[in-house]
Amino acid sequence: MAKDIAAEAAVNWRWVKLIYKQGTLIPLFASIIAGSLIIAPVLIVLSRSLTTARLGTFVGLTGENYVRVFTDPKLLPMLWNSLIYAAGSATIGTVLGGLLAWILARTNTPGKALVELMPLYPILMPPIMKNIAWILLLAPKAGILNNLLIEYFGVQGPVFNAFSMAAMIWVFGLACVPLGYLFLLPVFLSFDPSLEESAYIAGSKPIHTALRITFPLAIPAFLSALVLNFLRGLRSFETPVLQGSPAGIQVFVSRVYDAMSVDYNPGLGTAYSTVLVALSILVLLFYTRITRFSERYATITGKGYRVKAIDIGKWKYVTFLVVFSYFLVGIVIPFLVLIVVSLIPYYDFETFMKFPANMVLTNFYRVMRHPSFVTGLYNSLTLSVTIAVITVLMGIVMAFTMYRTRTYGTKIFEFIGTLPLAFPPLVLSLGLVIVFLGTPLYNTLWALGLGLFVAYFPYALRNASGSIVNIHRELDEAAWVHGARWRHVFFKITLPILKPSVAGAFFYIFIEAIRNIDVAVLLSAPGHEYGPVTLFEYFRVGQWAEAAAGGVIYLLILIVAVSVAKFVFQVKLSL
Amino acid sequence: MKRNSKLNLKGDTDMAKRTSTASAVLVLSLVAFGGAALAASAEDDSFNKVSAGLYEKAKQEGSVIIYSVWDVEHLVKITEAFSKRFPGIKTSYWQGRNPEIVTRVVIEFQANNPSVDAILSDNAPPVIRAAGAIMPYETVQKNLLILHDPTMPVVSLQIQTLSYNTKKLKAADAPKTWEDVANAKYKGMVALDDPMRAGPLSSMLAGLKGLWKDDARWTKFVQGLKALNVPLHKSTSAMMRLLVAGEYAIGMPTLLHDTLEEKETGSPIDYAKTAPPIVFPRYAGIYAKAPHPNAAKLLTEWLISIEGQRTLDAVGRESSRKGFRSKASIDTAFPKGTRSIPVEDKLFLEDPKKWLDTNVKPIWGE
Repeated sequence: MAKDIAAEAAVNWRWVKLIYKQGTLIPLFASIIAGSLIIAPVLIVLSRSLTTARLGTFVGLTGENYVRVFTDPKLLPMLWNSLIYAAGSATIGTVLGGLLAWILARTNTPGKALVELMPLYPILMPPIMKNIAWILLLAPKAGILNNLLIEYFGVQGPVFNAFSMAAMIWVFGLACVPLGYLFLLPVFLSFDPSLEESAYIAGSKPIHTALRITFPLAIPAFLSALVLNFLRGLRSFETPVLQGSPAGIQVFVSRVYDAMSVDYNPGLGTAYSTVLVALSILVLLFYTRITRFSERYATITGKGYRVKAIDIGKWKYVTFLVVFSYFLVGIVIPFLVLIVVSLIPYYDFETFMKFPANMVLTNFYRVMRHPSFVTGLYNSLTLSVTIAVITVLMGIVMAFTMYRTRTYGTKIFEFIGTLPLAFPPLVLSLGLVIVFLGTPLYNTLWALGLGLFVAYFPYALRNASGSIVNIHRELDEAAWVHGARWRHVFFKITLPILKPSVAGAFFYIFIEAIRNIDVAVLLSAPGHEYGPVTLFEYFRVGQWAEAAAGGVIYLLILIVAVSVAKFVFQVKLSL
Repeated sequence: MKRNSKLNLKGDTDMAKRTSTASAVLVLSLVAFGGAALAASAEDDSFNKVSAGLYEKAKQEGSVIIYSVWDVEHLVKITEAFSKRFPGIKTSYWQGRNPEIVTRVVIEFQANNPSVDAILSDNAPPVIRAAGAIMPYETVQKNLLILHDPTMPVVSLQIQTLSYNTKKLKAADAPKTWEDVANAKYKGMVALDDPMRAGPLSSMLAGLKGLWKDDARWTKFVQGLKALNVPLHKSTSAMMRLLVAGEYAIGMPTLLHDTLEEKETGSPIDYAKTAPPIVFPRYAGIYAKAPHPNAAKLLTEWLISIEGQRTLDAVGRESSRKGFRSKASIDTAFPKGTRSIPVEDKLFLEDPKKWLDTNVKPIWGE
């Protein structure tokens, strides 16, 4: 018996040594740690779906919650609404983001140096601010655009309706643009131009080349962004609540929130969430199937080349128009609305049109005097930078383990790493609270930091996965042949090539984390203010003008920080 | 002359009667006022007495941790005033929405975690109490409260009003009572809080059901609202903003302190003073495993005291104390003699979802 155990241990040890020799042990180990941290709250949340007891009581395990979910007569209509909303906004956002990335990275569009950071500015604006701005623009009776059309163009009745599915898709679609842009920009920047040059030599026009060569090669990164935006849409709550509810449009995630906030039944809430998890897995299966022959999409090979812009002729004026329109509609107009709203006593169309005669600074004064605004901003700034760095690095390590080591079964990380995105934030926060409760981490900034890591890991992983498949294996293989270990390959080949996408992912996660409300609200501790919660509080209590003032201050700080980093310190954030 | 004398005599008698009546009224008023004053004074004495004892113990505990749904700006001012009054007790707070407070407190309770002392909120404490996570505590100032709960002191009130946009609707055309809103003539003008989300409209419906005790009348009212087929909001604050913006002419219900604040800033908002206010308690619940229970009790008693109520009034929160006149009190904001409608339904308070499923869902649907 003892001999058998010793023999088995020897076999296992040999297996470990083999993995180590292959250079995969460390990344594999790191991935397992990250995966465990992610899977723990997810499993806790799922286990809660198997109890019908209200919080504070225990009645044993049961499948009753699932019976309630699957016999809910509104399940299918709500799911349908969610699918339309998520698919519509993800498509608009990713296509527009990708188009902007292509225009700015690969074409000779005029003035692009001035606007290269511009597609990113919308993510600096907290999501609720965007909703406020668009509601005030598109509301049927009180909206600025409808009133302008009626008053100055003699249009009869409202043209736009903020409270409709189309408006919901539009607003959330614009919020999806930066992610599409950030995911696709590195791909277009690291594109081997010889592929396009061959097409030109064969007589192809620039647009045809883009459609038949450039865009197809960006499919993995495009799908990565599309999948992420789609999953974000599925669990998005603010836009459906603010713009959908008044029109009677109910999305699936509102069932989760009702179960948590009306029923106080996390079991039922998590059972509803499981439907979202199942949908997410289906989407991920689709993604992995599409990108299974990753070598097809490899654009970065061992051959040297210089990236250069393509002369697209007269089309450059069209692309300039596209960029300018996005700049105007996606950024300038909503931002101006917010600025004016923050500077007037209250919003209605009449008062809005009197600006600047009725300008007041009281809202800014009040925000600056808010007891937790400055400390909250400092806390969120420090934590966001730290978490962004760790999350991005771990995302790359996990993607490296999946796509660059030859360890069996590592594709499971693809699912584990993306799972947090399938859960509505309140549900995920609940799982995280249970994980940290009883540990010394609970009620500290560390718990909040780890919570943010779990929440944003999917972005880091999807970003790294989408980019890593664009690097041809021949580069790694050349290093392996010369006896390099994983750390040499990782730090000297993979990481430097991934630099643009690393910068993009860091930037995205930093911005998302610094304005996070959903995870922060349950994990923040008494005495540790977190900046974005302050803004949300203004919104929650109905002080939109103060919320707008806070949003404007936040936005200006971030724009200055990003611009200084880019133009003064020459930090490559994305380009 | 005689006649005159008689008349005078009668007049004198009348005068004497009037004088004696007036005197009696005055005496009675003085007695009543004096009685109330004495009662208030007695309650103040009891506060002074209890606070002295609690303060000694609270100082040894050294701090008090609050979870609350209230604005951070308000919490800061309240805790600063408390710390100034009772030096040596450190205060800290965490702010969240009701579902988050319930989730957090009950999970902490299950994990035996001594994380919080006092929970200041409206909807959350009864649900937490139903889960066994509230330490029963009856305030010594109970006789002074408009609403009293023997296990959780009511330190403030949520007062609901029927507001309208003055640019969209003249005062004469505005609804005068809650029931008026269900009139078909207001179709297309009204926005409602979602009655199925356990928010202000559902608590209003619970209050009216308890007041009317007439199921047919109540059902007709809910059916009337449903027939309006108007926008439903899951956020009362968003509904209020759109009411101010002119998207809607009438919002039901809105909160008194919001309405008054809007009026102060010059927004085109007013409210129907003839619609009796619905009042919902804002509790200070003491956590069953509070690490600093005496500090929590002291905070609770102080919040109900005149000094505490003044602090609440200064940040715009409604008083829960009888006879305490402030800009957001029922006595000031409504005509004399207005009777408020309390929300006292036990099932609604402890399991709003069950109450909604039983009473509202059969009429409203989902």
